[in-house]
Amino acid sequence: MRFDGVVRRYGKHVALDHLDLQVAQGETVALLGPNGAGKSTTISLLLGLLRPHAGFVEVLGTSARQAVAQGRVGAMLQTGSGSGLPPSVRVSSALQLVRRLYRRPAPFELTVERAGIADLLGRQTHRLSGGQAQRVRFAVAIAGDPELVFLDEPTAAMDVDSRRSFWRMMRQFGAEGRTIVFATHHLEEADVIADRVVVINRGQVVANGPGATLKAAVATRQVRFVTDDPDEVLLDQLEGVTDVVVRGVGVTLNSLDADATVKALVHHGVEFSDLEVTGAGLEDAFVALTECDPTSNERRAR
Amino acid sequence: MTELLAFGRFEVARLLRSWKFLAITVGFPVIFYMLFLSDHSPGKVVDGAVPWRVYLMVSMCSFGALIAALNAGGSRLSTERASGWARQLRVTPIPAWSYVATKVAASMLVVVPVLVMVEVVGSAFGGVQLGLSTWVELTALLWVAAFPFAVLGVFVGFMVNAETAYPVVTALMFVLGYFGGLFSPVGHMPQAMQTAARALPSFHHASLGLALLDGHGFGIQDALVLAAYSGVLSLAVLWKHRVEESRGLA
Repeated sequence: MRFDGVVRRYGKHVALDHLDLQVAQGETVALLGPNGAGKSTTISLLLGLLRPHAGFVEVLGTSARQAVAQGRVGAMLQTGSGSGLPPSVRVSSALQLVRRLYRRPAPFELTVERAGIADLLGRQTHRLSGGQAQRVRFAVAIAGDPELVFLDEPTAAMDVDSRRSFWRMMRQFGAEGRTIVFATHHLEEADVIADRVVVINRGQVVANGPGATLKAAVATRQVRFVTDDPDEVLLDQLEGVTDVVVRGVGVTLNSLDADATVKALVHHGVEFSDLEVTGAGLEDAFVALTECDPTSNERRAR
Repeated sequence: MTELLAFGRFEVARLLRSWKFLAITVGFPVIFYMLFLSDHSPGKVVDGAVPWRVYLMVSMCSFGALIAALNAGGSRLSTERASGWARQLRVTPIPAWSYVATKVAASMLVVVPVLVMVEVVGSAFGGVQLGLSTWVELTALLWVAAFPFAVLGVFVGFMVNAETAYPVVTALMFVLGYFGGLFSPVGHMPQAMQTAARALPSFHHASLGLALLDGHGFGIQDALVLAAYSGVLSLAVLWKHRVEESRGLA
């Protein structure tokens, strides 16, 4: 699966800005990024739901549309408030229908087992809870026994338990040699399931590598405190500090080693109060990654 | 091909299982017909030569076909689009056009029991006596002529969201019904309204049936107007489908 310099606009807004991306067979890849980063657009292009304005999309050695028409691709799309399932039918008949749309579907029982929906088969589709509907939609995505599966924020709105069991299902399916590409904005989800994490921001790949590499890249902490007359030059030289923001008497330090930074503050006799150490949010991680030189990230990824 | 048949079967089964929808769709024009029948005056003649009872039955057939097609297409389609199911189907191997085609076909299918029920009532209580072959001809003619209604329903389903579908469908039903002369003969209307009626597919649908029973045979002009509506609405559906597709929504 390959993306070469893909550009996709919505009116004047550029959703994908010369995006390059490659996924090898059997890989599980997470597309990680904040909302509006271009993850869903990427998946829509890979499914042939959208056409690129420039660049080239190849899926399973052919066009995205062709790959879908050949029944080699399955997908779980974002559905907003809807269930993504046909209204007022049983789960079992919806799933049976989807199987029949493929030439070589997986056995019904196997799909049911893979998605863990044995208890839901007799239910009406509009009577499912959000998490249950998502499991059924996963079953729909894999019913045709596809080589390649796209999942767009598959665990959105799930509680912690259902999210974890969903991750188990995804890992198992990936272990059977399928290629999985999924979009998420949970760092943990990307880290737990994916062989490789591709961070997308503002329509471009800003980082690309195994989860651990990215974690190191984003493992910054924020140290916040209040001090009279902050000395920016001194603060910037403290151990671990990568960034200093001073607003009046409020100071925020980005640090790669919060413990060392706090010790250094004490050591240098900085009078501080209201000390607070927090893990940097994902948003900050994206900022950190966006500021990295993309080529150096590429190198680390290999 | 087997994939398309499977999809078609699924749609039909789903339609047949939603008995509330069917009961309302078939029941409404029948009840409406019965209400009109209570005002039955045996010798009354409409627009020159057509007996009132014949006019009434054919009009109610047209009205029933209109309701059935608009509800089957419009309301159900917009609900399915809202649920994301329509989009999910786009990432299965069946071609995009098959979804639209199946919807039109399903709407056409629902029209059949409506026509039959209204005709049964017409024959049992409405004082309409026809030979078997005429019944069959009339049913077939009114069924085929309902095609523009089916396409209109699908078009509405594409244009409006689930919340606005019901009011839009209801409004269309009564506008096309009333101004198309299905509740009261066009001949009784002021001149301007008569002209307006002749521009509506509902008028020509009923007119086609009346011409057959009236001994005028096949109403070529009515058929041409209905064909033109079918063509224009089909293009509109294709256009809308294409626009949605380019935005990745269809």
